[in-house]
Amino acid sequence: MLRSPFGKWLRDWRRSIIGWTLAIAAVGGMYAAFWPTFDKPEIKDLIAVYPQAIMEALNFTDIQNAAAYLTATVFGLVVGTLIAVYAVAAGTRTIAGDEEAGTLELILAHPVSRARLALRRFSAFLASATLIVAGLLLVLLAETGLVHLDGISLGQFAAMHVHLLLFAAFYGAVGFAVGAATGRRAAGLGAGAAVIVFGFVANGLLPQIRGFEWTRTLSPYHWLVDGRPLANGLQIGHVMLMAGLTIVLVAAGTWFFDRRDVQSV
Amino acid sequence: MNDIAISTEGLVKRYGRVTALAGLDLEVRTGEVFGFLGPNGAGKTTAIRLLLDLIRPSGGHVSVLGLDPRQDGLELRRRSGFLGGDFVVDGRQTPQELLTYLGNLRGGVPDTTIREFARRLDLDLDRPIKELSRGNRQKVGVVQAFMHEPELLILDEPTTGLDPFLQHEFARLVRQAVSEGRTVFMSSHVMSEVQRIADRVGIIREGRLTNVEGVEELRSRARRRIEIVFDGPVAEADFTRVPGVSDLKVNGTTLHCRLDGRADDLIKTAARYGVATFSAEEPDLEELFFDRFNGDEDAS
Repeated sequence: MLRSPFGKWLRDWRRSIIGWTLAIAAVGGMYAAFWPTFDKPEIKDLIAVYPQAIMEALNFTDIQNAAAYLTATVFGLVVGTLIAVYAVAAGTRTIAGDEEAGTLELILAHPVSRARLALRRFSAFLASATLIVAGLLLVLLAETGLVHLDGISLGQFAAMHVHLLLFAAFYGAVGFAVGAATGRRAAGLGAGAAVIVFGFVANGLLPQIRGFEWTRTLSPYHWLVDGRPLANGLQIGHVMLMAGLTIVLVAAGTWFFDRRDVQSV
Repeated sequence: MNDIAISTEGLVKRYGRVTALAGLDLEVRTGEVFGFLGPNGAGKTTAIRLLLDLIRPSGGHVSVLGLDPRQDGLELRRRSGFLGGDFVVDGRQTPQELLTYLGNLRGGVPDTTIREFARRLDLDLDRPIKELSRGNRQKVGVVQAFMHEPELLILDEPTTGLDPFLQHEFARLVRQAVSEGRTVFMSSHVMSEVQRIADRVGIIREGRLTNVEGVEELRSRARRRIEIVFDGPVAEADFTRVPGVSDLKVNGTTLHCRLDGRADDLIKTAARYGVATFSAEEPDLEELFFDRFNGDEDAS
């Protein structure tokens, strides 16, 4: 773990990573466990009474089967938002957080190029996000028999989690890029939070205004769940979009980081 | 082998409208200890950060070990060791973990070497850094700068927080490095520290090097406060005309004055009486800068 900035980052943040893995697995597992309760005619009648707009805002329409339910609650809402928050915080921490703490300077006085350091740290963040996503996947697979998620195959679960991982990578890249380019933690966190809020609003609320339906296509939440990967497998267009934006953001952040002054404390 | 370890020509660094370095010309020879002296805010840390490519110059030229920091930063940093003025690291790790990691960034430093340095400086390698005193943290910084035996040591206020015993041990580390042909560039705002260790001193003020000279010349030129206690009362008139003496005050058997330059005449005059104690305070650096500054104004 002490051999490279990759292992060191994971080691330094191991407690946080384990905490988020457990928390997200627990929340996701809990929501999944409510599925048998929803899967009853009386609940469906009850939901039908709610105004359509609210249900749409919460992605809560069309809860016909387990895949639709999990997409609406776990992925499109609670777990998606939690992992986005983790990603923004952790992505910002890779460079800007370290820099503001005054601990980056020492590393950069060693024979490590800035670009390599930045990319290794971002890779370490990706590894941490993979761990979190894998933790959730394992819990959901373990629950499958117990809470009647049996309509969903392993491949469909895997596809949904690939989407979730790329969604996390994108948000991590936002925090990373803005933080690395500016050296300011608040800028990275602020930009990330703004994109989370925008993603949420553009996916659920704005499209209810006539003429604003198109904003949905700009929302990372839409890229995460649209086409319902949990039922229909990987949605290649959105996979490519999230991966592509991540690469562009990471490259841009690294480029700026390599060309600016490191801040002193 | 290059005779010049560090050279800067007209080095300028501006932050917006603030000029941190206003054309620094510096030359540090291979194998010497160069003391980089100046009050806080004079631009010492800015200069050091430019040498290591942590920040980029607004103008001028830098060469370290014959290399351009911007183009050959990796090679330059491989061959040098750095201790920042504010040695901050994540406190959750132990010195052992940190030093092993930093060693690995340099291709590995043997564990026995780390332990030897820790033993020499009396540093506990196994307690989390956040539990260590300021002095002990600084020791971690000293070890990481020296442990890979770099050709060039760049040290920003290295003895901050070290007690006198450790300052002595630090001076030995520096001397040892120099005896092996390595170069030490260290900044300080403490005159006595630089006097003890450095061969030559460069004085920086408001972003410019005002003076470079040998430590001995500097010391001989500096103004000191003197206190002499005599066995019996002395005549003030005997001392008023002694060369270099100013601010003279005689109070019964005690004499206070300031002395510029050589002490010979004062000592010989005092020796006509019985001298009980003689003390000379080391020159105050701020005073030295003030003198130099006035001198510049006189010259212009």
